[in-house]
Amino acid sequence: MIHDFVILCAAGMLVSLYLMVGQKALVVAIRLYGVQSLLLGVVGVALGLAEQRTHLLVTAALTIVLKALVIPWFLLRVIDRVGIRREIEPYVNVPASLLLCLGLTVVGYRVSLGMAGASQGVAHQVVGVALSMVLIGLFLMVTRRKAITQIIALLTVENAVFLVAMGATSGMPLVVELGISFDVILAVLVLGVLVHRIVDRFESMDTSRLSNLRG
Amino acid sequence: MNLLLATLAAPLATAGLGALPGPRRPKEIVLVSGLAATLALAVATAGRFLAGETPVAFEGALRVDALSALVLVLTAFVGLLAGLYSVGYLERNERAGFVSAKRRTELLALVPAYLAAMLLVAVSNNLGILWIAVEATTLASVFLVAFHNRDTSLEAAWKFLVLGSVGLAFALLGTVLLFASGQGVLGEEMSALDWTHLLAHASALHPFTVKLAVVFLLIGYGTKAGLAPMHTWKPDAYREAPSPAGVLMAVGMMNCSVYAILRVHLVSKAALGPEFSERLLLGLGLASVLVATPFILIQWNLKRLLAYSSIEHVGIMAIGFGLGGEAATLGALLHMTYHTFAKPVAFFSAGTLAQLHRSSDFEEIGGGTLGRTPVASGLLLLATLMVTGSPPFGLFWSEMTILKAGFFGPHLAVVAVFLAALVVLFCGFFYQVGRLTLGPDTKPADRAVLPERLDLAMGTTLVAAVFAVVSAFYLPDSLVALIRAAVRVVEGS
Repeated sequence: MIHDFVILCAAGMLVSLYLMVGQKALVVAIRLYGVQSLLLGVVGVALGLAEQRTHLLVTAALTIVLKALVIPWFLLRVIDRVGIRREIEPYVNVPASLLLCLGLTVVGYRVSLGMAGASQGVAHQVVGVALSMVLIGLFLMVTRRKAITQIIALLTVENAVFLVAMGATSGMPLVVELGISFDVILAVLVLGVLVHRIVDRFESMDTSRLSNLRG
Repeated sequence: MNLLLATLAAPLATAGLGALPGPRRPKEIVLVSGLAATLALAVATAGRFLAGETPVAFEGALRVDALSALVLVLTAFVGLLAGLYSVGYLERNERAGFVSAKRRTELLALVPAYLAAMLLVAVSNNLGILWIAVEATTLASVFLVAFHNRDTSLEAAWKFLVLGSVGLAFALLGTVLLFASGQGVLGEEMSALDWTHLLAHASALHPFTVKLAVVFLLIGYGTKAGLAPMHTWKPDAYREAPSPAGVLMAVGMMNCSVYAILRVHLVSKAALGPEFSERLLLGLGLASVLVATPFILIQWNLKRLLAYSSIEHVGIMAIGFGLGGEAATLGALLHMTYHTFAKPVAFFSAGTLAQLHRSSDFEEIGGGTLGRTPVASGLLLLATLMVTGSPPFGLFWSEMTILKAGFFGPHLAVVAVFLAALVVLFCGFFYQVGRLTLGPDTKPADRAVLPERLDLAMGTTLVAAVFAVVSAFYLPDSLVALIRAAVRVVEGS
């Protein structure tokens, strides 16, 4: 029962990623990232309650506060300041992107089958979803041009990693988890500062303009 | 106080003091003395290890074995050189009006902070701490890349941060998967992620999950090391970063990433046998050497040339470790050591040349620099001899050691390709530097060249050159003992 619920939430995360691939408004992408993080938090709470792992509850609370609220708020503020609201035409158009992502999901799932035998409970399904999310996240980073979209894609990959940590392990040791969360927040801040500098300088956050360095 | 913690605290305190506003001279003194203290403490820590102790902190989460001690000392050495050079670098730039007081504070704080994070990488015995430390190095260095705030610096910093973060996300996934592979075996404590703990339980880990984890970890930390095909941030970042930061990235960070890769390699060897990760390392190493070859031949910028040389060198190390066996491992670790001595000379002399000519593009500098800036050009030529692995310098011996081990091993084809690439790289690098320094004077008429002065930056370069030359003929016994002990760590005997 609880396992089905966890798998449902994990699938929800994947769906939110597909929705992200399917549209171009940056505000929506950021909100979708928030929803995805919330689902990740719910996975943590569900597993924490079901298996009486209190430190998972701490992690889940941290995830919900930081990734579902603080980071989206910060990113929304960044795009508000720089006044850029939509992704321009990506390198690969949306229908083709969705098809490719479908393929990537199959690949992710196929790889995770190798874990089926050994792991406990939901591990292999969760790893399947997570690997698909990693691949799609990378795909988004390569094909989209706006700096903010690249940041969101990166954070999505990070979410996928945390999903593995919750679903396939008994939760990373708390000290390590706290350190990692702190680093991720810091990274987002640094990325935000860099976006500001880029926009100040180029009057655009289109990363395809960052192409003077070759060879 | 724990000696190991003091070694980490010293650069951190230096960074904190560096971030404070204040007059210039005292802050520079703080920087240099702080970094000198760091080196002294690192050497003392390594000395403790050689005396038979194993320095630990935080219940074994930080631990110094031979490999850690070697990387610790080498990194702290480069840190001091970079600190000395930074002071000279700032002096020059401020005289020319390129750098404001705010920027100066930034450099004085970030250089030691970067070093502190690197030292933490070198002594971490815990996968989680290792990841956190590597991420910290990335965050500490990103504003060093963006330091000059030019269009190109921002581009380089963006690429550096995004690629680095993707790499780190991969490494984190690998870490989590490795932890997942030992569910029910490793426990749930902090110590579950210790290398020592993982090695002790290696045979009980789930093999497929370990394989997946090793692939992600090698790609992740390989990105930070600049192994091909994850090397693309390197040329940009090296060109844009100020030379003292460049040398920290090219030597310190590279050694630390190689350290991380080696730890992964060790777990993989214990859990899956040597084949799996050796093959991967061999492939990544060969790819790096091959990728560097064409770009060195067609290079148009001095600092990017050095970046491709550094991709080559990390590739050589990966090949050494990938070949496996005591001789090749010794070669690779010697390579790391000699590279640490040689590369700063190249970076510092190239940095001086670029500062005096106000550009690092070959076209804008023009040929025949030996006539205009004889000392810097001469040092660059000397560094070229060392970096390309010409006899009698150290890198020649380490490359020969690796090649010899390779020719007696099973991967003959790989070694043959490797040797061919080395020859082309040697010629290519010499061609580029020769064109720049020795050819006829073709300085563009509209560009002014500043006169050479024997300032602190130049003095640091000379000192680094002396160290590099001496190291070719004489390594202290304790350093040799450390390298031998590190070989035993990697070979597990």
